[in-house]
Formats: sequence, C-alpha cells, structure tokens
Amino acid sequence: MSTIQSQTEKGEKVSTFQARRSLGRAGLSTLAILILAACGGSSSTGGGLGSGDLLVGVIAPFTGADAGLGPAYYSACLAAAPSINSNGGVGGRQVKCQQFDTRGEPADAVPAANSMVAGHSNLMAVVGCTSDEAATVAPIIDRAHIPMFCMTGQSEFNKTALKYFHRLVPADVFDAYAMVGSALYGPDHTPYKRAALVFGNDIGSQAFVQPATNAFTKLGGTIAINQPITLGASSYRTEVSAMLATHPDVIFTEALGSAGTYLGEVKTLNGGKMIPFIGTSATIDPTWFQQVKSAIGVNDLVANYHGVDLGYSFSGPAYAEFLTNLNAASSQFADAPKYKQRGSTLHLYDGIIMTALAMVAANSSDPKVYNSKIKEIANGVSGATVVNTYKDGVAALKAGKAIRFVGAGGENNFDQYNNSVSGYILVKYDAEGNEVKVAQLTPDQTKSISAAGGI
Amino acid sequence: MSLFEAAFGFGLVSMSVVALAAVGFTMQFGITNMINLAYGEVMISSAYVAYYVNRAGVSIWIGMIVGAVFGAVFSFLLNRIVYTPFQRKGTSLLGMVIVSLAVSLMIANLLLPLVTYNSVSYQEPSGGLIRVAGVVLTTNQILIIVLAVLVMLAIHGLLRYTRLGKAMRATAANPTLAQNCGIATERVVDVVWLITGALCGLAGVVAALNSDSFAVANGAGFLITALAAAVLGGAGQPYGAMIGAVIIGMVTELSASAWSPEYKEVVAFGILVLVMVLRPQGLLAKRGALAAAG
Repeated sequence: MSTIQSQTEKGEKVSTFQARRSLGRAGLSTLAILILAACGGSSSTGGGLGSGDLLVGVIAPFTGADAGLGPAYYSACLAAAPSINSNGGVGGRQVKCQQFDTRGEPADAVPAANSMVAGHSNLMAVVGCTSDEAATVAPIIDRAHIPMFCMTGQSEFNKTALKYFHRLVPADVFDAYAMVGSALYGPDHTPYKRAALVFGNDIGSQAFVQPATNAFTKLGGTIAINQPITLGASSYRTEVSAMLATHPDVIFTEALGSAGTYLGEVKTLNGGKMIPFIGTSATIDPTWFQQVKSAIGVNDLVANYHGVDLGYSFSGPAYAEFLTNLNAASSQFADAPKYKQRGSTLHLYDGIIMTALAMVAANSSDPKVYNSKIKEIANGVSGATVVNTYKDGVAALKAGKAIRFVGAGGENNFDQYNNSVSGYILVKYDAEGNEVKVAQLTPDQTKSISAAGGI
Repeated sequence: MSLFEAAFGFGLVSMSVVALAAVGFTMQFGITNMINLAYGEVMISSAYVAYYVNRAGVSIWIGMIVGAVFGAVFSFLLNRIVYTPFQRKGTSLLGMVIVSLAVSLMIANLLLPLVTYNSVSYQEPSGGLIRVAGVVLTTNQILIIVLAVLVMLAIHGLLRYTRLGKAMRATAANPTLAQNCGIATERVVDVVWLITGALCGLAGVVAALNSDSFAVANGAGFLITALAAAVLGGAGQPYGAMIGAVIIGMVTELSASAWSPEYKEVVAFGILVLVMVLRPQGLLAKRGALAAAG
C-alpha cells in the first residue's frame, strides 16, 4: 500500500498527461502485483515462515447463554502463546490471541467467522467452534484453508469432508455412553436403574439423548422421563415437578447456563433432598461448578454429582508448562487459572502448540502446506521422538527428527477424518471445584456400552 | 398431587414476576412514548446491585428496596442523559427504539466485565414448602405473589385516585394539551421514569430471586417476557399488561405441564401472535388506565 502511495505522490509532481498515464500503468502493475501477493496469502506462499505476528482466532460464545464456553478456549490460547513466543516464536513470529464472539447463535456466528477470515490474513489456526455454531462456521473456516480445532461433539463431524477440521474430543455419543457407564458401573453407588434425561433443547445438548437412551435401556435401565428444557428460562418448577413425579434415581444432564436454576428447584421441590446427577464432560467447568454450588450448596454438589471426562493425568512436563502459563495469563484474563482442569482448555492448548510445530516442521506459514503436518505431529510416525513442549519439539525438528507431540491433554490419535478419540474416566468434584478421578471404565464395560448403544 | 394443580401455583408466581416487569415497561411507553429496549438490562443491573447488597450480609428483602432505588435512579438518568436529548432533536419513534437497543447492548457489555459471565444466586433461605391442595409454593414465592398484588393495587390507586396519576393520564393522552392546561409535563415524565424505573428494578430483583441462579445474559429474557405481556395487553396500558402477565405466566406453566416443556414459550408466544392477528391493538387498547380521561 505504501508503494502505491509513494508512486502516486511522485506522479502528482509531473503534470503531463503522458506522465500520468505511465504512472497509472506503473501503479496498476504494482497494484496487480500486490493483489497477487495477497491472494497467495501474504508472505505465506510455500517455503519460509514469513514475518509479523500470527493470530489464533478464538471463535466461540463470549456472550449469551453459553458465555461460559468462550473464556475456557481463550484461556487455552493465552497459555499456548507464551509457550511458543518465549521459545523463538514460529520462526520468530509472535502468536497473538483474539476473541470472535458468536453469542452461541449461528446467525451471529456467520458474520463473526466471515469477519475473522476476511480481516486477518495472519490467521494460523482457529479454536473454539462449539456445537452452537460449528455447523455454520466450520465450512467458512475450511474454505479459507485455516486449520481449526472445534469443541463440538456433533455426530455430523464424525466423518467430515472438511480437511482443515480437527477434533480433539470424542463425539457426544461417547460422552453419553460414559454417562451410562457412570450410572451402571460407578464405584460409589449401587447401579442406577431409573434415569431422568434433562438436557437443554439446543443442538449440542440434545445430541446426548438418543445414544444415552439406547445404551441405558438395552443394559437394563429405564428412562423415567426425557425432558428437553428451554435454556435461559427463569424457572423450571413445572418441569421439575413433572420430573420428580416419575421418581428417577438419577438425572443425566447437560443444561449449560440453566443447571443452577433447574437443580436448585429440584432440591427445593424435593423437600431439600437432592437426586444424584451425572453430567457430561462439559460440566467439568468452573463456571458450571460455581453456578450449581450457588444454587444447591457445595455439600450437595460434592455428594450428588458424578461426571465423566477424558482420562487426563494433570501432570507431566506438558501440563506443568500449561499450568505455569495459565496462571501467568491471569494478568491478561483474571479467570484463566480457573481452567486448569478444563479438558477443552488443555486440548485447545495442545492444538495450538501442534499447529505451531507443524508450521516449523513444514517451514511454511501456508496452511495448505502445514495442515497435513498437524496430524503427523499428533499421531507421530514410526520412530518419532515424543516431545511434550514446543521448545523440545522445535529442538527435535531442528535436529532433523520426526516428532510426536503429547501435550497437556495427553496423547492424540487422529483418524482419517481428523477426529481424535480417547478413553473416559469417572470423576467427582471436591469442595474447591477440582476434578477428582474416582474410576476408569474398563475396556469390557466400554465395549458393552458401545455395543448396546449401537457403535 | 396433580401436576396441573402444581403448575397452576407456579403460574401464579410467574405471572406475578411478569406483571411487575410488564406494568413498568408499558407505563414507560404509554406516558413517555418511549419503547425502552434497555429495560431488561436495567432489570438485570438492579438484580446485581441487590446481589452485592445481599452478599454483604443484608437480607435480600432489603436488597430488593436498594435494587428498586437503583432502577429508579438509573432509568431517570438514562432518560435525562440519553433519551431526552434525542427526543428534543425530533428523533422518530423508530429511531428511539434503535437508540434504546444500542443502550441495551452497551449496558450488557459494560456489565459483563464487572459481574462476569458466572451465574450467581441470592443467599436467602427459600422458606419451607407450603402445600394447599395440589399447589406447592415456598414462603418466598408466596411473598412474591403478595408483593406483586400490593404493587398492582398501588399502581391502580396512583393512576385513578391521585393528582399525579391524573397528570400522568393527561400527559399520556395528549402532552401538548396537558401542558396548555398547566400540567408540568416534563416533571411528570421525570416522575414516571423514577416510578417505572423503581418497578423495573424491583422486577429485576424479584425475577432473580424467583430463579435459583441468574447471570448477565438473563437481561434479554426478562425484556422479551415483559414486552410480550405489554404488547399482548395493549401497548401503553397498565391493566392490559397485568392481563398479559396473567396469560403469559399461566400459559407457560400450564402448557409445560400438559405438553412438552420445550414448547412452553412457543405456546405463550403463539397466543401473542394470535391476539396480534385478531386484535392488533392488544387486548385493552383504548380502554385502559392511560386512555384519555373521561
């Protein structure tokens, strides 16, 4: 742009028509060159990592009913950026994070995604895209050839054709099966046999209903009531009364944003006594914990909550670096340290580090070049050196080694559709809101549930 | 216990909450000619003010008064600082709606960093369950119903039997004529913003108390319900808003008991659409308390 400007300024000093025409041609030529360069992705064509800052777009709900989701993903980026930046950046380029608010609505998500990809030629990766908006934003991001790490469990992505789509968490169907496993095989209670399904009426939450119903009923359980609830309502008293009338011995639930209201009313209308409830992995979240704790009290929450989560160790060098950076990120975002045990935060942190390593491995800032490297670095190739941090990864790559990145969230195993699946653990909360592992589903248990559920 | 009877009881609570919000909203419009889409955000702001008072160890019933005072002052200032200058410039009604929408978004986004996106709850015992036939309510819910009835009676008394009420009705009917008759309409408008702001603040705290937890995102939901009841009853008509609140509050709860709860709002808003088709002016238009006297 500055080139065009200076040419024009020179042209203004020569006032003949021909001179203007020549300068016009020169200007057009320069403009054409610049446009061609821009179409190539500005300093990102093939070889070389280019210069200038790189951007990770965090596209998620930051306002609206699911406003609790975005901050968990933004925290992941805030933790990942210093891991990369303090170790030389991506070929010297610093990584920055930017929020793009979808409000949890597809109608708001589309302009947010369009604005993100159109207005930022330095996007290296996009993280977030929950079930609220994934179906609408993922194709936009894919068309822009930007690798994305989506936190959606929707089954439509199980065999997606989107090449730039990555999912580091299992599909919702597996979460639903793990909940059934918690009800039937959880170690700290007799098997629950009569379940109430209380899920929000949004797309993401309803994805759990059918697989949970299939698996639970085929394994001898009964669905006492299936109750889709309108998220964000000020009260669910009638719904709670209807649910209590069916006398369930457990509630399966994901009703983000409304869990406090619903469960608080369960306690009130049940004479102060809670019914045990099993939450999806999305309920392992500080916002959810705080909300339900406020509504039913910490003692009832700790005593009655069962959750399912991916098998995180919350230890090791990758997690240690993640935790250090997450705590340090509190200067930019005060709530960041709260996400120290949030699965999605760990996974997206890993996704960003893997993307940066893929760029270094490919020696390119062109996503069309480095996208395929992400899977290679996540799964590893034969003889690959296992690395846990960006620093070690870059060192190994510079030494000419192939690497496999095992990050804060543990190993990844992408299939041909870039879906990574791993095993589940059964968890509870302690009084401070920390996740506590209580058991792991055995392979036999997992197999029987999956078979009953239809996979 | 019949679920239908229980839902009827819950409907009484819901309609009380909606009535408090809707009457303030509709009076604001009826007298000041201002469709204030920031109403829901003022409600949630007031709910948070009461929350912080409550968190300091003060009873939520005292917090409710503080919330009402905050709502009154906030609404008054909003009108004086934002809305009145636009109205003096002759901004159209539609333009004012857009201004209030902008104000609503500004409040919501200014509130977010202050209170965060986390849901919070008032620390107030809900009281024991009281059962009458199939109706089961907590002490707090009964107090909410009583409070709503008292406020509605007070509004009725204000509009019908006081000089201020008559001045309000005159201003609503024809502000120019009212001014020519010696009514200080600007002062009346100021008082209306204070009163309806207090109702707005009170409704915000009551709605938050009625819900076991609330968050900044609830402001939009508060507005939609209040708006629906006000439009259903006839925009600008306090008694219409009361009837609208009864319909919206009852229908949502009863339909949830009779049908799938995910459709309860569909049913309520379906009735709203039906009324709008059959009677676009609303149920009580031209016959309510703010209609021309005489």
